[in-house]
Amino acid sequence: MTTRTAPAPLADRRRDRDPVDRARRIRGRRRMRAADLMIALCWSSVAMAVSLWLAYGGLAQITDTASALTAAGIVTGLVGTDLILVMLVLAARIPAIDRVVGQDTAMAFHRRLGKPALYLILAHGVLLTIGYAMTDGSTVVAETVSLFQGPDMALAYLGLGLLVAVVVTSVVAVRRRFSYEAWHLVHLLSYVAVLAAVPHQLSAGGVLADGTAQRIYWIALYVLAFGSIGVFRFLVPAIRSARHDIRVAGVERVAPGVVSLYLTGRDLDRLQTRGGQYAIWRFWTGSTWWHAHPISFSAVPTATSARITVRDLGSGSAAIGRVRPGTRVSIEGPYGVFTDAHRVAPKLAVIAAGIGITPIRSLLEHSDLRPGEATVILRGTDPAQSYLWNEIGALRSMRGNAVYTMLGSRPPGLATWMSAEALSRGVTITSAFPDLLHSDLYVCGPQSWADLVVRDARAAGLPDEQIHLERFDW
Amino acid sequence: MRARALALSILSSAAVITVGWQLGSQGQAGTSVDSAATAPAAPTTTAPEASAPATTGPATSAPATTAPQTSAPAATGPSGTFTGTSAATRFGDVQVQITVENGSITDVVALHLTDRDPRSVSISNRAAPVLREQVLAAQSANVQGVSGATYTSDGYLSSLQSALDQAGL
Repeated sequence: MTTRTAPAPLADRRRDRDPVDRARRIRGRRRMRAADLMIALCWSSVAMAVSLWLAYGGLAQITDTASALTAAGIVTGLVGTDLILVMLVLAARIPAIDRVVGQDTAMAFHRRLGKPALYLILAHGVLLTIGYAMTDGSTVVAETVSLFQGPDMALAYLGLGLLVAVVVTSVVAVRRRFSYEAWHLVHLLSYVAVLAAVPHQLSAGGVLADGTAQRIYWIALYVLAFGSIGVFRFLVPAIRSARHDIRVAGVERVAPGVVSLYLTGRDLDRLQTRGGQYAIWRFWTGSTWWHAHPISFSAVPTATSARITVRDLGSGSAAIGRVRPGTRVSIEGPYGVFTDAHRVAPKLAVIAAGIGITPIRSLLEHSDLRPGEATVILRGTDPAQSYLWNEIGALRSMRGNAVYTMLGSRPPGLATWMSAEALSRGVTITSAFPDLLHSDLYVCGPQSWADLVVRDARAAGLPDEQIHLERFDW
Repeated sequence: MRARALALSILSSAAVITVGWQLGSQGQAGTSVDSAATAPAAPTTTAPEASAPATTGPATSAPATTAPQTSAPAATGPSGTFTGTSAATRFGDVQVQITVENGSITDVVALHLTDRDPRSVSISNRAAPVLREQVLAAQSANVQGVSGATYTSDGYLSSLQSALDQAGL
């Protein structure tokens, strides 16, 4: 590997002159502002849930332990439900959210909210039961029985039960025991769970009583959450799939267990796919229609054709390699922020391993690169993993830009992303990417490997906004 | 989380909470307890002219022929028991009967309270004595009501108002 050095002051001066770099930094700042606003909006909705109760005069109701418990029960219910609605919005694949932070970041946040939301809803039930029992001077059991006969309460308990099932099956340790399909089926019950809780909120909930502003706000929240799910997860994909009429044109085996699917369709350029993005695909054959697969574009779509490349990581994706030409394909997406549009720095550092080459290939194809702007490292354990590598050097954008390859196993017992051979030569992330700190680093490959690359980049001082990581886990 | 996102979240959340707290402390504005307490209270200035009979009126009878008159009887007012109309709520009907002596309310008896389910019964039992005390103290339906018993208070005060109308108070 050659070592080039670009003195930092020079790079900084150029950053200020070059209109492309300036536009990129402005876009980056705008995106960060939007992301900050979204986070603030999210927490403000939690504050709003508490505020609904405050505006109702909730504080005045607290006179003793029993009423304090009851009040805590009401607030936990409001906040917990608000968090669940936020989770639905995060999972709705709203284009604005995907463009700004990326759907995978949104889903990471969605997962983090799951358990707190459940605990709040459980606390809601427990606190109210105890609070009511203390007020009435009855036992918790008697109170539960009497609550169960309340308006729409049987439905509410059903919703709570479903919610527990949804969260328990999603806890990592438990989730591994289920197939993706079984887990997903249970997860869809969360819609039922959330809806089953609505009647008791509107009938028994004093805060949300008839004719209050609170009731209107609450219903609007529900409409927003379920509306965005309906539109962006069901309506838009259905319309897109019908409009573009995508079909399999050919299947090419590019390596053992790796296939490229050539697709044809109408006006595929209107999808406005950016290189590096993925879509969620469903192949309408008897054995594959029930499972949708997130697969990256390995080439930027033209008006009539697209190519995706997939490795058989699960039983479902192995079946994809056997689909016949002419098979109808439906699409959700394209999604993802692993694109040229999300760069913030003047230089580009790219590293791919294994099947991680697919989004890298289309990312580079779609990038408008100056000579010397990009450094690319392709990493594989053995030559069998070098599929699509020959295409990288042939890309028009790669003219005057360096592509390095690093083949070989990792040294046993050491946490490193490098081959044993490279490690022994003293290669580091900054020797591999001399301009790293002035670069956007794009990493795509197996999760544990990619995490090690990111670890080294962070240690070298690369700020988070310059690190772009594509995750392939579900 | 970035510092700016954190600061923004704290600021906007604090603003939202403050507004809610202000609304809540301003005599529970925006809640139906308040509207229930003030809305039926408005007609008290226009007492019906006809002196009500000193008998228990039928539950469903609303004052039919009443010409508004601003002067209410002071020293020698109406006496007797008056039964308000039954107010239907989501959790059951509410109906009250008042005892009036020389134009002042001496007792309020709840004939029927929200009872659709055990929880409603327990709320009713808690709210009724409080509402009775409030009404006896205020001598009108213009009282705050019991928070946490929104629907019961609503029905109670609306039935009470109809009884007051019959009594000409």
